[in-house]
Amino acid sequence: MPEDAPPTRFGPLPPGIAPTVPTPGYPGTFTHTPSQPAFRRPPGRTEVTGPLALHRKLPCGEANLAEPIPGRPAMGQLIHIAGQVLDEDGRPIPDAVVELWQANAAGRYAHANDTRSAPLDPHFVGHGRVRTDAEGRYGFFTIRPGAYPVPGEAVWWRPPHVHFSVLGPASLSRLVTQMFFPGDPLNPLDHIFMAVPDAVARERLVARPLPPAEIGPGWLGYRHDIALRGRRATPVLP
Amino acid sequence: MTPLSSHTIGPFFPRAFVREGDNDLTRTAPNATPSRAGTRIRLHGRVLREGGLPCVYAILEAWQADAAGRFRHPADPDWEYADPDFLGWGRAFTDADGRFEFHTLMPGGFLDRAPHVNLLVMASGLMRPVSTTLFFPQFVTANAADPVLGLLPPPLRPRLLAAPDNDDGYRFDIRLRGGPAEETPFFES
Ligand SMILES: [Fe+3]
Repeated sequence: MPEDAPPTRFGPLPPGIAPTVPTPGYPGTFTHTPSQPAFRRPPGRTEVTGPLALHRKLPCGEANLAEPIPGRPAMGQLIHIAGQVLDEDGRPIPDAVVELWQANAAGRYAHANDTRSAPLDPHFVGHGRVRTDAEGRYGFFTIRPGAYPVPGEAVWWRPPHVHFSVLGPASLSRLVTQMFFPGDPLNPLDHIFMAVPDAVARERLVARPLPPAEIGPGWLGYRHDIALRGRRATPVLP
Repeated sequence: MTPLSSHTIGPFFPRAFVREGDNDLTRTAPNATPSRAGTRIRLHGRVLREGGLPCVYAILEAWQADAAGRFRHPADPDWEYADPDFLGWGRAFTDADGRFEFHTLMPGGFLDRAPHVNLLVMASGLMRPVSTTLFFPQFVTANAADPVLGLLPPPLRPRLLAAPDNDDGYRFDIRLRGGPAEETPFFES
């Protein structure tokens, strides 16, 4: 690689960004989180590389969750979520694979594990996968998800949220995160949202309402940029 | 820019995201011809949580060099010579017993690194993905010189060695949480 050697391209995360684990109020983290500290290894070739052209392996293009069958929109507030996938220098990451999944407007997932009695929407499956363009842009047509309760001894309600899985250019840039909606009263009560210690870092997880002009009427627009770990991490094939 | 915080995949990661063949690292696309430039192997095991119970619906992602020890990525100076038919990446889902399986080629070593496969585990209850690295017991000399394996205290190193099965199989169990006596060593990611 050129002047910028791998170790400086992937520094440790600043404090306050990574969620506290195990996470208070979230019992599952107390049975899954490793109890022993992780070993720190200098980023080497296996960590700074990753599969390119992953969109060939993971077919992309399912961007319309809200109206997969024309004329039969899903129930709920129709929204459009769009943004850019960027590295720590703010450079766009093209060809990133962005996966999204979420509950329907009633807070129910179309998933065998969700056995709650809230209604399923036959016109909403709730997952999609796209590939970022040359400017790192992605976009999904979907609906605003409903809140849902997490069962257990102390039930808590997840605020409306959208799950994102982003496969960027390197193993170290892999990200699984959740997007939240501005001003929801459940946000400050959510153990998962509040597990992020830094308040500014939490705000970065909240989408900004921003009706995109090109989308057209009827779609409430949200902008949500996704910064991945790594500087000059965008691979350029000669 | 500051990277976004990570969160759990939760219990509802879409099963449709993991298709048949995604756990085959030798194919660059679902219908691509698998690379045959190397020795085909099968990696399998279980993901376990506290109490030795299976971790169901965990997602594993594997990443490794090709049979000659090259990555098809410009951060590898030899990337142009990497096997164009080998992806080196795959994804698997654990079943109700916590079992997973990958099909791949035996990775090559490079520089001072012994042949290895990087594994990332994501699950409901894991707020950050965890990373570990699988090594192969037959490469005794290379393993002894590997700087990453060497980061571990010697008694922990055998926990990162896969166990050869019958035929082409290697078994590697991942214990997410089980205290110092049982836990898989993980690396900061
Ligand atoms: Fe959720």
